[in-house]
Amino acid sequence: MASRDVVQYKSPLVVAFKIFSVIFLTVYLIWTLLPIFVMFVSSFKDLLEAFNIPEVGDWAGVTVFFDFTPTLKHYHSLFYDNNFGEYMANSLIAAGGSAVIAVTFGSMAAYSLSRVEFRGKGDLFFWIISTRMAPVVAVMVPLYAIFRSFDLIGTLPGLILAYTTFNLPFAIWILKGFFDNVPYSIEEAQMVDGATRFQAFMSILPLVAPGIAAFIVLCILFAWNDFLFAAIIGSGGAKTLPVATRELVQPQNIQWGAIMAAGVVTTLPMMLLGLVIRKYLVTGMTMGAVKE
Amino acid sequence: MTSGVTNVSVAQVPPGTSLFRARGTSSDIEARPITAVLPLPVRLNSAAPRRYYLYLMAPAIAVLAFISLYPFVWLIVMSLQDVGVGAGEWVGLKNYTRLFNDVRFLEGWVLLAQYSAMCLALQLSIGLLLAVIVNGARWEKFLVTALLMPMMMAPAVAGLVWLFLYNGTFGWYHWLFQSLGWLDSGSILSSTDTAMLAIVLVDVWQWTPLITLIALAGLKRVPQDQLEANMVDGASPLRNFFAITLPNLYPVLLIAIMLRFMDNFRFIDAALVLTGGGPADSTKILPIYLFEVAFKFFKLGRGAAIALTLLVVTIILGKLLVRIFEKPKSERV
Repeated sequence: MASRDVVQYKSPLVVAFKIFSVIFLTVYLIWTLLPIFVMFVSSFKDLLEAFNIPEVGDWAGVTVFFDFTPTLKHYHSLFYDNNFGEYMANSLIAAGGSAVIAVTFGSMAAYSLSRVEFRGKGDLFFWIISTRMAPVVAVMVPLYAIFRSFDLIGTLPGLILAYTTFNLPFAIWILKGFFDNVPYSIEEAQMVDGATRFQAFMSILPLVAPGIAAFIVLCILFAWNDFLFAAIIGSGGAKTLPVATRELVQPQNIQWGAIMAAGVVTTLPMMLLGLVIRKYLVTGMTMGAVKE
Repeated sequence: MTSGVTNVSVAQVPPGTSLFRARGTSSDIEARPITAVLPLPVRLNSAAPRRYYLYLMAPAIAVLAFISLYPFVWLIVMSLQDVGVGAGEWVGLKNYTRLFNDVRFLEGWVLLAQYSAMCLALQLSIGLLLAVIVNGARWEKFLVTALLMPMMMAPAVAGLVWLFLYNGTFGWYHWLFQSLGWLDSGSILSSTDTAMLAIVLVDVWQWTPLITLIALAGLKRVPQDQLEANMVDGASPLRNFFAITLPNLYPVLLIAIMLRFMDNFRFIDAALVLTGGGPADSTKILPIYLFEVAFKFFKLGRGAAIALTLLVVTIILGKLLVRIFEKPKSERV
């Protein structure tokens, strides 16, 4: 900044803030990464070693945290004694299925909503968005009763449909913003050249393809991380990873090692996906209200 | 608008006469003098687009109707019935009148308000501070990536990890709190005084990064020339922050507040795993109470009445949020 020469920049206050910010950032980073770190490390620990903590006030004793022999037995027990392979497949099918439905139908609807004006469009929009924002528990009460009468409880199609309640409105809302940014003149030019309307629609798809791909991933993330729908609508036949992880907590015997390993299995893929779509994360998480 | 005459007569049709209108065609043309209207290909303004767009919209609307509109009607019907595991019978407004005498229902609202207020206050202050610190820092990209990691974790899993960390015999955070002298004995989750704070901390841990990300996006749009001009005039950095940066951030922060507020209503996964509403109902925020009534005791009729009150409040909040969203583009950040 040019003004640096003109103004006295390093007042004591500024220096104090610099020092404060370094300390604050360090503390915050430790606080934010520690639970994830503990989860990762504990998943490789034997149960007794995981329970090893120093005496109260013994700050030097923190090193016992690293005092262990790594073992893979919790991961082994997840997949061999606990069927986590199947639960993972369930998670993948439910999340992926709803994401594909949401983005396919969503992009068609978003495109037409972006290109056409009609009476009541605002109301239609509000209905769509409020579906997405309704509390999950509240939505689940009637959905449970309906799905029960259709025999969809405990099935993957039921779960996919349940996830679509939040993913489809999300996709429509977000993708409309994308299509709004594509000028109509591109399609017009295509149509003047003799393309049909559908061909014109297809011709602008490559322009929004990166966004669409990112929001498929985001839809998967939302559905994968869901617990409530899976616990109630999916209970029985369609157990997903978060529910299976929760079920390792039993009143008499909490299998902490296995829980931490299951946590890693559930979290790691989503963290990697999150990094891949990092650019769209803010737009996605704020429903398109904030663009980075 | 059927025959070939339409080509020229577009301008005489006032907007709104037809139910559908292709975007970017007639409205643009109307603005121009009639003499400037060139003949367009008939297809563009024929009735075809309207039907065509409707077809494209239909699948999504049909699915949404089945999973949103239909359940909503069902919810109202159920709230007037006594529904359990079997078929329901009509009870009129009894489910609603009972709510007014239900201490835990009223208490649930109070706790939900407290919970949301505490979460928001902490997230907003810490998140904003972090954004200011991280903005323009040397390792900004890396720092932001590290910060947003908790958001990727399933809330239920986050709850379980924190359950481990809070544990009264081998939890690391329990050890930390005790070593710092903040906690006497007994787990933070087992006391009615601290349990609420415990679930607030988990929410703060997981979602403060979102506020930071939003604030960071806002900070990038604060006009630098204003800041510099103000500095040249001798304003301190602190003064600069309150006079220019904060007012510029206001719209994004408002969005962040609304989003977090509604998510506090939406998600109870972590709290459900951590406390399940206990001890002694001290963390039984309304959605948890609803979960219990509907899916633990399977009183779906009463649950429907509670759900409806929760929905109404969310819809009002949503209406406010959408009003912020739909501001003209120029005002939006």
